[in-house]
Amino acid sequence: MKKVIAREKLPELWKSLSAQGPLFLPVQEGPVVLFQQWQEGAKINLEATNTAVPPKDLFLPREETYMQYRCKGKELEVIPAEEVKPAVLFGVHPCDLSAVELLDKVYIEQDPADELYKIRRENTTVVALSCTEPDPFCFCNDFAINPADAPGADVVAHLKNGSLLLEAGTDKGKTLLKQAEDLLEDGSGQSFEPGEVKTADFGLKLEGLPENLKNRFDDSAWDELYKSCLGCGVCTYVCPTCYCFDVEDFGHEAGGERFRCWDSCMYGHFTEMAGGHNPRPGRKERIRQRFMHKLQYYPETFGQIACVGCGRCLRSCPVNLDIVQAIQTFGGETVEQC
Amino acid sequence: MSSVNVLLPQQATILDITEETPDIKTLRVVGKDGLPFDFMPGQCAMLSIPPLGEAIFSITSSPTCRECLEFSIKDVGKVSGALHSVVPGQQIGIRGPYGNGFPVDEMKGKDLLFIGGGIGLAPLRSLISYCFDHREDYGHIDIVYGARSPADLIRKGEVKESWAEEPDTDVHLTVDAEFPDWDGNVGFVPTYVEELGFKPENKIAITCGPPIMIKFVLQALDKLKFSPDQVITTLEMRMKCGVGKCGRCNLGPVYVCKDGPVFTLEELNALPAEY
Repeated sequence: MKKVIAREKLPELWKSLSAQGPLFLPVQEGPVVLFQQWQEGAKINLEATNTAVPPKDLFLPREETYMQYRCKGKELEVIPAEEVKPAVLFGVHPCDLSAVELLDKVYIEQDPADELYKIRRENTTVVALSCTEPDPFCFCNDFAINPADAPGADVVAHLKNGSLLLEAGTDKGKTLLKQAEDLLEDGSGQSFEPGEVKTADFGLKLEGLPENLKNRFDDSAWDELYKSCLGCGVCTYVCPTCYCFDVEDFGHEAGGERFRCWDSCMYGHFTEMAGGHNPRPGRKERIRQRFMHKLQYYPETFGQIACVGCGRCLRSCPVNLDIVQAIQTFGGETVEQC
Repeated sequence: MSSVNVLLPQQATILDITEETPDIKTLRVVGKDGLPFDFMPGQCAMLSIPPLGEAIFSITSSPTCRECLEFSIKDVGKVSGALHSVVPGQQIGIRGPYGNGFPVDEMKGKDLLFIGGGIGLAPLRSLISYCFDHREDYGHIDIVYGARSPADLIRKGEVKESWAEEPDTDVHLTVDAEFPDWDGNVGFVPTYVEELGFKPENKIAITCGPPIMIKFVLQALDKLKFSPDQVITTLEMRMKCGVGKCGRCNLGPVYVCKDGPVFTLEELNALPAEY
């Protein structure tokens, strides 16, 4: 199903979709663009290359209360949170869509599925938006992602000649386009052929990298690589493929809630045990964990590198200790077996 | 169809509490209708006491005990501390079971050597009890158990009386230093294991205890010519989810909560030594 809408009519489309459920899309907030729920007057920015924070928030919220508890005398009552309502996520770029698919492998395909994530994923219709111009930090081409296309989305959208072209790829996508059919025109005569967009070439050698890294846990390169790290954790918060979380209670003895929230392997408390022992006590161990997980551990389990080249860690790291540097340090070189 | 959030605990009730040592208590816990879930020796459960949260503990009882689950818990942190102040009849949250458990089928027909230190007897106790309940499946059983002092040995009555009385079973107790009225061995567990001179033929060694003890027990077993596939241990790491998602117990390609906590030394040698 192919549809088209003139750009000046988009505000009507946002309004119409919002009337049916929460609609999240890239909104300009001062100097940054973030995925936010649409409201009247929101400054939508479909031109932005990448939002400051990836849309993983929609499926793995940065905070999510999943139960209430009440204690009375010796009794404990557990009250599960209500199920989330269907939503539309509009304007996800191909790199971020690929990242969500990487999370799906852990949160849905790997037994047992994480129901909180799975329900949000099932209840969300994802409209991907192809990129026309990557920024200097984008390197998704390295991961066989064409920013001009987004196979796998419920709807793929392209900005072209003052219009937004929309093509449904799934039943959920068709349903969405039907819901807005009063505003959409038939797009069957339009060309939806994605072009090709070239992203930055950092000279990364990815072939064989996971296998190569297997023998480099004790490599002396780690002794240097971590040194500039401040341990701020921003890389993990802005990374679309980072998915670690914490679980905590908030409340008092009579009642309260249990929630989970994003956490970061860059922090010392992350692995610190009750007795005080910490298997990853310093920044070296934590930097190694993060890069090894993306480049070796995840690929060993799921067959692909857990990076999509979105460039957020390049833009955000205050000391430029990003994944490109890690890949350049370890990529493509032959290992001397010890 | 409504699906189930694996992070949601179910209610469990404390039946009774046994004070094992000054800082270890054993809680007997029952679900709404008997056992909260089926499990295998070596598996763990997440216990919760709001508002202090959740922590993971190995199940100390054997699945052959159908009345309740037992947890021998050392008071070392926030949740374990709160679990030390529960009273009979109090409800707590429980979810599980988590982890792979001990390879009870692969161990059939073998002689077993259990080596425990301090609270490390907790997960071993589930397996030891299971083996006694399936006595014909296993060969000779040796149990080496040690602690800092006689007062720090857990389940003393059971260890000294019932286990020592089991057929084809030897119990070897040791404490770190001389104590009045102590007639057992004096010395560290790894040294005692070496002194006892166990032969590796047709034997599986299963060990759990403080990391420093495990380290030297592994060296002792190596000296006694046990091969890495004959040695089994169970790891302890910080965990939040128990289902291989939250990331804390990630070790190379495995998550200790779901792929462990039980590993052979051979498997462990292939993983980053970050535990």
